[in-house]
Amino acid sequence: MLVKTRYVILALLILIPSFVNLGVPIYNRESPEFLGMPFFYWFQTFWLFASAGFYIAFARIRGKQND
Amino acid sequence: MISSELIITFVSLFILFIALGFYGKYWRRGDLNHVHEWSLAGRKLGTTLVFFLIGADLYTAYSFVAIPSGVFAKGSLYFFAIPYVMLTFAVALVTMPRLWTLAREKGYITASDFVKDRFGSTTLAIMIAITGIVAELPYIALQIIGMRAVLTVMLAGYANAQIVEEISLLISFIILAAFTYTSGLRGATLTAVFKDILIWVTVIAVIIIVPISIGGFQHAFSQVKANYVTLPSSLMPAYATLILGSALALYLYPHAINGVLSAQSAQKLRTSTALLPLYGVGLAVLALMGILVFAVPNAMNFLSGFPESSRGVLVVPSLIMFTMPGWFAGIALLGIFVGGLVPAAIMAMAQANLLTRNIIKELKPNMKASSEIRITKISSTAFKFLALGFVFVVPATYAISLQLLGGILIAQILPAVLCGLYVKSLKKIPLIIGLLVGISSGIYMVEDVNNFGALTVSLFNTTFGTIYIAVISLAINLAISFGGSYISNKRQASKTENQDTV
Repeated sequence: MLVKTRYVILALLILIPSFVNLGVPIYNRESPEFLGMPFFYWFQTFWLFASAGFYIAFARIRGKQND
Repeated sequence: MISSELIITFVSLFILFIALGFYGKYWRRGDLNHVHEWSLAGRKLGTTLVFFLIGADLYTAYSFVAIPSGVFAKGSLYFFAIPYVMLTFAVALVTMPRLWTLAREKGYITASDFVKDRFGSTTLAIMIAITGIVAELPYIALQIIGMRAVLTVMLAGYANAQIVEEISLLISFIILAAFTYTSGLRGATLTAVFKDILIWVTVIAVIIIVPISIGGFQHAFSQVKANYVTLPSSLMPAYATLILGSALALYLYPHAINGVLSAQSAQKLRTSTALLPLYGVGLAVLALMGILVFAVPNAMNFLSGFPESSRGVLVVPSLIMFTMPGWFAGIALLGIFVGGLVPAAIMAMAQANLLTRNIIKELKPNMKASSEIRITKISSTAFKFLALGFVFVVPATYAISLQLLGGILIAQILPAVLCGLYVKSLKKIPLIIGLLVGISSGIYMVEDVNNFGALTVSLFNTTFGTIYIAVISLAINLAISFGGSYISNKRQASKTENQDTV
């Protein structure tokens, strides 16, 4: 992988979850519900799993280059 | 009145906890007369242990008690704790491995060590150490408030409940002080794993049992007002800035940095940090308890027996007590109780490192290594009892306010500590001025929005809506630090140019 491409990918892996995170209007709604939970609650909880996925990918790719 | 099963489980697990704490001394033996062995467990913790240790650092009795309490009292705004947890690990993933690498090369134990070396300024390093110690104190106090909430729920209805409560807290702290004195971070790490197992068992049981027994989440959500279901749109800027400000501040707390530096390698630190958002799932479940409790009439009745201001902190312990069998409630309540003790130990240790290395040692540079470790151990004990005394004297509501202030203060060391890792052009004088202005503007705004009375609000009205004060004062601080450094670099450059032409 080119060094530049790698940096873009690393940046995206951090920026995408952060954008979702801080974009409150994206998830500030009641429906669709899941197991009786409003969207606001289950979406943010779901993103905890999703962000862990992004971060693991970041750690893996970052670990391949030398510090 | 509580069942004897509950007491038996609670007490026997607490004895096991104590045993683990003392056993820590023998675990992965090192010479505990060295500071890095005692306070960083010899920098030997792998991915799993760092996961548990930082997890214990960051998800404390305060999160178990204050977040559900906020959701219970104010609704969805307090759910910001969940996205904040997610964002803080992004910040940590980018910055902390670099700090770790520098710390390993140069032997840093605290953030102040780094700042002193990087900017060559003892003044800035001491200011950062003081900010860390001050901001940490109310955080420890809140751990104790969480622990006290567990005891209050357990002892409700008994005679002399308050005295028993205070004596139990005192005894717990003496035991805690004894094992951190002898075992250092090793003891804290072992007990952190134990505590986390109990918390996870509790969280999983609660999320399965409670919604089933109350007839589903929809039943709980139908009992509450609209601002519990979604966020009122006027609060969206507040929500986003609370996420941002808290996420930037968390890894500046001395105890968080202490946990980071105890990792075995930068890559192990990265992997465990990447996994830490999963820990937030537990936090989300606990936060939801602030809503689920509305559908449990027994718990609501019990809570109505307490004054409104102190009800919030009792939500999680009482929900557990009224929905779980006695023996299980014993496990869960002990989990929350030691969930306060373990972080309190780590926090006091981090404060002690700052005090000894970055303040006392600056004033007495010829201190021997043996006196350094002795002073660190003694001051870590002193900080614990200081926080305990604080809780006995200051009403709980004020202690929570001081935590708000603590978050605003600690955020102000960001330019020196985090930006200092990457930005070469930063200079010490603008950083010192930025820190001072950031802190004083933060304190002023907090006092202003609370009309110079008891602190309950940390949001400031601006033309962009209500915003978390930490973010505003940090922005001022950053502008001064970067602007000032830019000007001083330019001046220097033009000076050398003038000299060249002459």
